[in-house]
Amino acid sequence: MKIEIDESRCKGCNLCTVGCPYKIFQAGKKPNRKGVLVPLLDRPERCTNCRLQHLYGRVLCGVCQMTCPDQAIRFRDEKSGEPVKVAIEY
Amino acid sequence: MSYEDWFRQDRLPHIYCAGCGNGTIINCTLEAIEEMGWKKEETIFVSGIGCSSRAPGYIVTDSLHTTHGRALPFATGVKMARPGFHVIVFTGDGDLAAIGGNHFIHACRRNIDITVVCMNNQIYGMTGGQGSPTTPKGALSTTTPFGSVEPAFDLCELAIAAGANYVARWTSYHVKELTKAVKAGLENPGLSFIEARVQCPTNYGRRNKFKQVLDQVEHLRSHSMLRQKYLQHQERGDAVPDGTIVVGEFVKRNRPSMGVPR
Repeated sequence: MKIEIDESRCKGCNLCTVGCPYKIFQAGKKPNRKGVLVPLLDRPERCTNCRLQHLYGRVLCGVCQMTCPDQAIRFRDEKSGEPVKVAIEY
Repeated sequence: MSYEDWFRQDRLPHIYCAGCGNGTIINCTLEAIEEMGWKKEETIFVSGIGCSSRAPGYIVTDSLHTTHGRALPFATGVKMARPGFHVIVFTGDGDLAAIGGNHFIHACRRNIDITVVCMNNQIYGMTGGQGSPTTPKGALSTTTPFGSVEPAFDLCELAIAAGANYVARWTSYHVKELTKAVKAGLENPGLSFIEARVQCPTNYGRRNKFKQVLDQVEHLRSHSMLRQKYLQHQERGDAVPDGTIVVGEFVKRNRPSMGVPR
């Protein structure tokens, strides 16, 4: 599972940057086609929900998705054959 | 199934300003409804006029967008005509506390089986930032250019005094807690009132020293105090700092209510 930001909906309020406990969302630097500074994802493979939702069968954190006032953040399953990055924690 | 199925995808993105907390409250409410497992055909959203009251327009269920302040009378009518339906009212502070204040008191007194989610942004956001009954003392708005001199309304205390069955208050920062509170309100028979403090970056934050949206959200986070802690403070006689937002479940009781399907 991976995090996806819908650029057509994001208004660049950066509310997601305060919610995430891993600080995965970082404030964007470059304006996109609409002139919105869409947040960047910093190593999104660390996300708890993305890693473990399949094991537990329920949403584990999902605070970014709930906080996003523009419904721009969603969790999506990878397509078959899509390369998956794995977080290694020491 | 997730709460995203409840949105009208063709109407999104909505008209709220960047950083407005109303979208968060809609997410939380829809998530709570999704957890209840209600059908879309048997759920009705009612709203008045204002920023918050645009919310039902983005939800696939049947909805009523009614006159200013009169969301609760319309919701009462729906509930009386079809007691089997689930009625949820989205409303704002100007809608509920100022123009519909009397309707709110009487809806609490009658204890109709509806859930009221009040998005309290402490200002009339849509019409240009006029001061509302919940604007805190000293806050600037277009009608109070030298700072509001009147004390603000405490909607939760009002709802408790008028007789609502479930009363809770959270902010737009506390998404998980707010979802649980809305769910508890939906489960509880009788009028459930959930006040959600939201940030209004355009009309409130801009005039009140919150340059960024995140500053205002940080203010909501750092100034909220759990009700249990607040009561301990009161017992000990300690002073509570100014501007504290008391959050948590205020009351959960079982007064006789109207419109509960048998």
